[in-house]
Order: sequence, then structure tokens, then C-alpha cells
Amino acid sequence: MPISAEHVGRRYPATLPYRVSRAKIEEFAHAVGDTAAQADPTTAPPTFAMVIAAQAWQALFDDPDLGLALHRTVHGDQRFSHVRPLRDGDEVTAVLSIEKVRSRGLGDWVTIQVELTVEDEVVCTATSTLLHTREEESAA
Amino acid sequence: MSTLASVTVGDQLPTRSVHLTRADAVRYAGASGDFNPIHWSDRAAQALGLPGVLVHGMWTMGQAASAVTDWAGGAERVASVFVRFTKPVLIPDTDEGVLVEFTGAVTEVTDETVVVALEATCGDDKVIGAARAEVWRAEVRR
Repeated sequence: MPISAEHVGRRYPATLPYRVSRAKIEEFAHAVGDTAAQADPTTAPPTFAMVIAAQAWQALFDDPDLGLALHRTVHGDQRFSHVRPLRDGDEVTAVLSIEKVRSRGLGDWVTIQVELTVEDEVVCTATSTLLHTREEESAA
Repeated sequence: MSTLASVTVGDQLPTRSVHLTRADAVRYAGASGDFNPIHWSDRAAQALGLPGVLVHGMWTMGQAASAVTDWAGGAERVASVFVRFTKPVLIPDTDEGVLVEFTGAVTEVTDETVVVALEATCGDDKVIGAARAEVWRAEVRR
């Protein structure tokens, strides 16, 4: 059974805590050319949240009910809404939920949301639209 | 931080020009943990019907966001960023790589926030669409 609208609302267990470090902020800031964060690596660039959100994505691809494969998935759009930036020392957990599924032909547009929480407060919401292409039904 | 106190609609962010090479994609892979081989192996990319290695969409979004943080004075100022990925950015296996340009313009100013419309172009292609960032005008640690 491929992913369908009936999976909307499905929510996965929180990821193990990820500890944000100065070294990782610095490395990431260098990779995306964020000179503000390179000068002061105590505050993470806005898209650093993806490093942690991506760990939550694993639950989606591991869910046997959905039949999703990473190599058949294209990233359509991405939003980060920050209550505050991630900072050095934050212990972050991530919870993924399926927000919307629209199917067209062999393609499924899937909107997922990852909430990043530090000390019981949601500090960032990462929302992604993914285009997943189903495998052709095999005759077997 | 007076930049955002006097900001008006139509203000342009400094243009950011990046000569993107395969080393940048490898660096982003390491920094982000996204080791999908289509971002470093022509063979893997071609097996999926792509012309060759392409950069992570999140690299492009990250650079666009950096244009905002560098202008606004850091990530404490950024309330949100949105990007639609419209075209893949192919990276030739050359020393000079490919030029990607990032621009931004203020489209809205309220008492609390500034909205910046973002663009990224590679050759004749706009590689992101509907991209925007919302920036806090006041420097407050939230």
C-alpha cells in the first residue's frame, strides 16, 4: 500500500536528543557561507535546523506502511519557522508528522512537519513538501 | 544594527556570487550529514536519469539564508525562511565550477518585521521560486 491521504496525522516518536555544538555550527556556517555564524558560532544559521529535521525523516522512510524510498524522493519546498535560532548547547528532539498527501499518477506530494523542541518548548518548525514517485506495479 | 531601523521597501541586499564547485557539495554533505551520492557521484546521478552531479537544494537554501543573516546581523533576526526548489543546479567537474548568484529585495516593512524576497540564479535559470524570509527588526534575544 502506497502512502495516501489516510496517513495524514500520523506522528512518529521523538528522535534521540541532538546536542548543538559550536564546532558543528562553525562547520555548517562555512558550508553555507554564513559569515555572521562563522564570526559567532554560538548561534546556528536558520537552515541548520535541517541537520536535525533530517534525522526525523528517517522514521518516514522506515515506515513499511508508506512504501517511500529516499532515492525516489525529490525535495519540492522547504520552510523553517523559528521562535528562536538554535544555539550552542541546545539539546534538541524532533517529532515528524504527516500533514498532507496529494496523489497524482505515479507521484505523491507529501507535506511533512518536524517540530524541534528544546526543554519542552518548540523552537523551530521545519515544513517540507516532498515529491515521491511510486515504483511501477510489478506483475509479480 | 541600524540597517533594519531605516529599512524601506525596495532596498536591495548585497548580491552574493558563489563559484560553486564539487568541493562545496562535498563540504555541505559533511556538514549536513546528507551523503546522497547524487551530490558527489556522476555515476549515481546518471543511474537516476540525471545529467550529472547536482548540489543539495539545501545548500542553495542555506546560501540564500546566509545572504539574509549577513545583511540582518545574524540568525537571531530571522523569523522564517521559505524556498521552493524549481531547478536542479548541476556542478561541472572543473576548478571554476558554476556561478550561482543570490539576490534579495525588501518587499514589506511592518513595525516588527521585514519581508525579503529572495532569488537565486544559475546561468539563465532561476533555481528557487517564491523564496522569502521574514526578519525581526528589533534585536531581541528570544
